[in-house]
Amino acid sequence: MNRLFFGVVIALLFTFILAPTVVIALSSFGTSEILEFPPQSFTLRWYAYALARPEFTSAAWNSLWLAVSSTAIATPLAIAASLAITRGRLPGREVLQTILLAPLVVPSVVIGLAILLASSRLGFSSGSTRLIAAHVLIVLPYLVRTTSASLVRLDPLAEEAARTLGANSLRTFLHVTLPGLAPGLLAGMIFGFIISFDNVSISLFLANARTNTLPLSLMSYVEYNLDPSVAAVSTLLILMALVVAIALERFAGLRKTLGA
Amino acid sequence: MPFLSKFSSTALLFPTMLMLGVVLGIPLYYLLNFSTLTGDFMLQDVTGPTISNYSDLLTDGFFLGIAGRTFVISFCVTVVALVLGFPLASLMSRAPAAWRSPIAIVVLSPLLVSMVASSYGWIVILGNNGVINNALMGLGLIRAPIRLLYTDFAIGVGLVHIVLPFMVLSLVAALDRIEPAISEAASTLGANRARVWWHILLPLCVPGIGAGVTLCFSLSISAYVTPAVLGPSGPNFITTLIYQNFVNLYEWGTGSAMAFLLLLVAAAVVLGLGTLTTLLSPAQRRPQ
Repeated sequence: MNRLFFGVVIALLFTFILAPTVVIALSSFGTSEILEFPPQSFTLRWYAYALARPEFTSAAWNSLWLAVSSTAIATPLAIAASLAITRGRLPGREVLQTILLAPLVVPSVVIGLAILLASSRLGFSSGSTRLIAAHVLIVLPYLVRTTSASLVRLDPLAEEAARTLGANSLRTFLHVTLPGLAPGLLAGMIFGFIISFDNVSISLFLANARTNTLPLSLMSYVEYNLDPSVAAVSTLLILMALVVAIALERFAGLRKTLGA
Repeated sequence: MPFLSKFSSTALLFPTMLMLGVVLGIPLYYLLNFSTLTGDFMLQDVTGPTISNYSDLLTDGFFLGIAGRTFVISFCVTVVALVLGFPLASLMSRAPAAWRSPIAIVVLSPLLVSMVASSYGWIVILGNNGVINNALMGLGLIRAPIRLLYTDFAIGVGLVHIVLPFMVLSLVAALDRIEPAISEAASTLGANRARVWWHILLPLCVPGIGAGVTLCFSLSISAYVTPAVLGPSGPNFITTLIYQNFVNLYEWGTGSAMAFLLLLVAAAVVLGLGTLTTLLSPAQRRPQ
């Protein structure tokens, strides 16, 4: 009886968690001009329609470029900072760690706004530079968290052995530390990529017509039309999330990556 | 390499700290600076410094109404996420190894799926012609659709969906740290499952509850996409009000003051709830 009750509760909760994704994915195949669920008949034409719209495709390229470049810039920064924190003997280590994770505490609307104000006051309003800088900022704490967590788990004895055997710090890092770090780092990079790719509240203030991102262009498209092409794009985003989830689970464990 | 010298660790930390200073520190200084200016920002005819933006806001009924609404919704969202989080967390910490990966992928999926995509899912579910209203009308329970979409209720549903994984992760971390022998001992001594939960597991989960509540509440009050897509039209949440002040009204001084207040509240929530959690956590005392 007790087990049955627990089973029913879990089934209801799983329905709640999966409902919006399943519903939007199924309604992307509907033939009707407006979003409906369940669809009466099925078609792929909304995918063709969405993929032929430059406002979606160019925004998707922008988002991809933004997510890849901000993760690529944040990765070496995060590795260096995590090494300093976990392997260095710095006074006030806890304070430094808090500062590194600070972008997580500041609401992202506030970050977007503050960067907009500073760049307009300093006469620095080149669209893509400040957008990339802002995305580096929000991706960084996730990378620092996963990288320093893997460094803490990594036995420093192996590094010490390499040094004793005559390897210099660079060789030790490249051949001993980095391979041990790789799964956690890779998981952090994938998670950072998706954090940047899906971000709305920072890009909202910093993107312009030329650097418009995919989530932003979806949001403005929906203000005027609610046809299944948004569901088609959303379904592609859901597929990307699914691939990411499976990859994270394989590399480092989803729970460890997201909850470290 | 195990222990880097002070010099090399400072050198390794420097680029990141510089980046944080330039991309976060300096902008926050300008945010504070703009929040003390009043006047016409379009014509760049502004005066300051003054605290009038703040004093005006704290006596402005409309602003206080929206701020209060943001608080009430975020509070309810956090409580609901806590209640729903426990069964999921206990499932995750007890599930057999073979089931753990699929369960983790389902439960944590809202973290990885674009919020915009799941919001559109809620539009299809909650709309007047949506899944819920059609089902209720099909069953003959209601004659006309009930308004669910574009309400505070819809904001709440969307936010619970997004913050639930964070609550579950915090609770699982706490549950996993509890020695299974403790609850076994309580059961052996005659406690039923409810008593074990109430007297043993729940108090030991306080640190996890604290972490989860802090995360969920601060994520809720600073959410933008969910209120913008699912909420009533017009400014309906503190974040959408800030956006409106900037983009539509060109009230940069007032908007900056609102954003700075949001930042202060978010920081106070993290610090305050952290302290409260430490105070409420069962002390690690040895029995006399």
